[in-house]
Amino acid sequence: MAAVTYTATAGERSLLPAIPAGLRAAAPVTLLLVLGFLAPLLTVAAYAFATPKSFDVFRSFTLANFSAVFDPSNTVWMSFAWSLAYAAATVALLAVIAYPIAYGLNRMFGKWSGLVGVLFVFPLFVSENVRLYGWVLFFIKNGVLDGGLKWLGFSGGPEVLYTPGAILFGMLYVYLPFMLFPMSLGIAMIPRDLVDAARDLGASRLMIWREIELPLAMPGILIGMLLTFVLGAGAIAESKILGGQSVITIAQDIEVAFTYAQNWPLGSALALLLVAIVSGLALYVLSKLDLDRILGKR
Amino acid sequence: MMKISRRNMMQMMGAAAFAGPLASATRAFAAREKELNILCWEGYNSAQVLDPFRSSQSAAVKAESLTNDPTMINRLRAGETRIWDLINVNNPWARKIMAPAGLIKPLPRAEFEPYFDTMLPGFKAPYRWAMSDDGKDLLGMAQRFGPYSFVVNTDEISKATAEEQGWDLFNDASLAGKYGIQESDDWNVFNIFLVAGINPFKEHTEEEFKAFAETAEKVFKGAKMVGDMASLNQALVSGEIDLYMTGGTYSVSPARADGYPKLRAITPLKGPIDGKGGISWIEITSTVNNPELSPLAVEFLKYVQDPQVAHTVAFAEGTFNPVSQMGNPKCFELFTKEELEAIQWDSLEEDMARSAEYDIVPDYDKALELMTAAKRLRG
Repeated sequence: MAAVTYTATAGERSLLPAIPAGLRAAAPVTLLLVLGFLAPLLTVAAYAFATPKSFDVFRSFTLANFSAVFDPSNTVWMSFAWSLAYAAATVALLAVIAYPIAYGLNRMFGKWSGLVGVLFVFPLFVSENVRLYGWVLFFIKNGVLDGGLKWLGFSGGPEVLYTPGAILFGMLYVYLPFMLFPMSLGIAMIPRDLVDAARDLGASRLMIWREIELPLAMPGILIGMLLTFVLGAGAIAESKILGGQSVITIAQDIEVAFTYAQNWPLGSALALLLVAIVSGLALYVLSKLDLDRILGKR
Repeated sequence: MMKISRRNMMQMMGAAAFAGPLASATRAFAAREKELNILCWEGYNSAQVLDPFRSSQSAAVKAESLTNDPTMINRLRAGETRIWDLINVNNPWARKIMAPAGLIKPLPRAEFEPYFDTMLPGFKAPYRWAMSDDGKDLLGMAQRFGPYSFVVNTDEISKATAEEQGWDLFNDASLAGKYGIQESDDWNVFNIFLVAGINPFKEHTEEEFKAFAETAEKVFKGAKMVGDMASLNQALVSGEIDLYMTGGTYSVSPARADGYPKLRAITPLKGPIDGKGGISWIEITSTVNNPELSPLAVEFLKYVQDPQVAHTVAFAEGTFNPVSQMGNPKCFELFTKEELEAIQWDSLEEDMARSAEYDIVPDYDKALELMTAAKRLRG
């Protein structure tokens, strides 16, 4: 018995160089990722090519779902446009809003920066829906804002709830931490010596920011922008809860296809297109930027 | 004799770790005496309803609640008949869709029909929606029901005006920006047809679809908000809106129970469905055509017929609804005056009489597409 075991072990040893130990040790995790992460994505991709309104996944192949999406009479492009426009606006506005905060966290708030950081993280512990419903109570007629202003003798608050503007506000609020923290990390990567040296050499504050701080913080800024854009393109709760569906986002169209329309293949085709558009745009933007230069490996 | 070394001990443990879940999975398929899976509208998944059953049967009962029928039917169609034992959906699905598609199993008639005798008068056996098309099989049990048209704030629009005007309220330009729409797209399809003066539950002509599309565009453009029923009730209470569709006792009862009796479910006096303008729903709970159906499925259906449990179901968390078992005096006496007010018991009979029963729209897909396109024009 012992001899047999020994032979088998020796046999295994001779195979060892073929599969590195690291890879073998990582096999269970790899398997888990393939099953838990890749398999659902592949199933969605396969559903996109199944017969419309059926469950014939892996058994049928058709482009009917895509031709339905690209049919000129179909207005689903409006939902794509709204989602991408909202995501782009969120990214642009958050870049401007988050930069001073991130700068402050690193350079100005001093001993308070820990507390300020926690204040921005704290909302993440509460579900997004709950926080958005909180804003509804704040903005609603006779709610916190409107009721409070009336109590103080004013005529009341502005009508912001259930408007497209409320959706943008909700997105800025929800995605702020996702822009702020990568940006803050980026700014933390700027060596103080370089800034000091530039100042000693006579560079103006604007020049230091443009030539030193911004390029060196760019990896963090870019990661924040990318993260915010991807999340923003798939946003749904803001338009449903704060916006009263005054705008239909693509995520909602996907949801309707999977639920009320009983059309999983169409929903999958829309989801696949969204993935393609978002990742395509992200890759395009990344390819336009010289990552090596940005990452300081020139 | 086999000698156990540390090495093969580890091997055995590894094998056991892999085999363990598989073994329990096989057990789950082999014998399901002590487990029950329910796919339902919210209420049946509440601890108040399930816990007594769990402890009396020492069973693992899992219930998943969804808030629309098409998604639940879809889950069974996608192959989940192996998972679920009971499905609780609105009336037409069992008889017209699930039974013909082989998704549900009939119940033993002799055992279950006597329960219908003690229900409210409208539910006497053979109750149409609980029966198969040929009238031979009993496909499920009835419990919760209610009228479901629209809800108004009676301080702004009186009950009499709302009933008299009916769906035309949503054609009234002066009410644009003062109403909300619930995000239940299947019911919204019915309502848009009704606002356009068309019976939803029939095949529609091109002209009718044109009217439907125009009405959908107008109604969605004029809506202040589209949202879930909690948001809509909130908006009614705060004064953001004066009325909303789709709504009924199901959606407004929680707000009424919270002290807002001025909010009221309205059933129009007349309309295009053979003269009726309202729509009502009746839930039918059926046993799923599961190859390993849990024997607890029929036990649970009997359990919820009990007057005490039926009252709990009526007032389970979420929404409050009348139940067919209120025909039994032992069940009815459990309802307090406040509870009867919350479910608008005072007008329930007449509201149900003025309502057509929820049915399948033969060309629903096309109508939903037109309505979805109309919604996009809001922005």
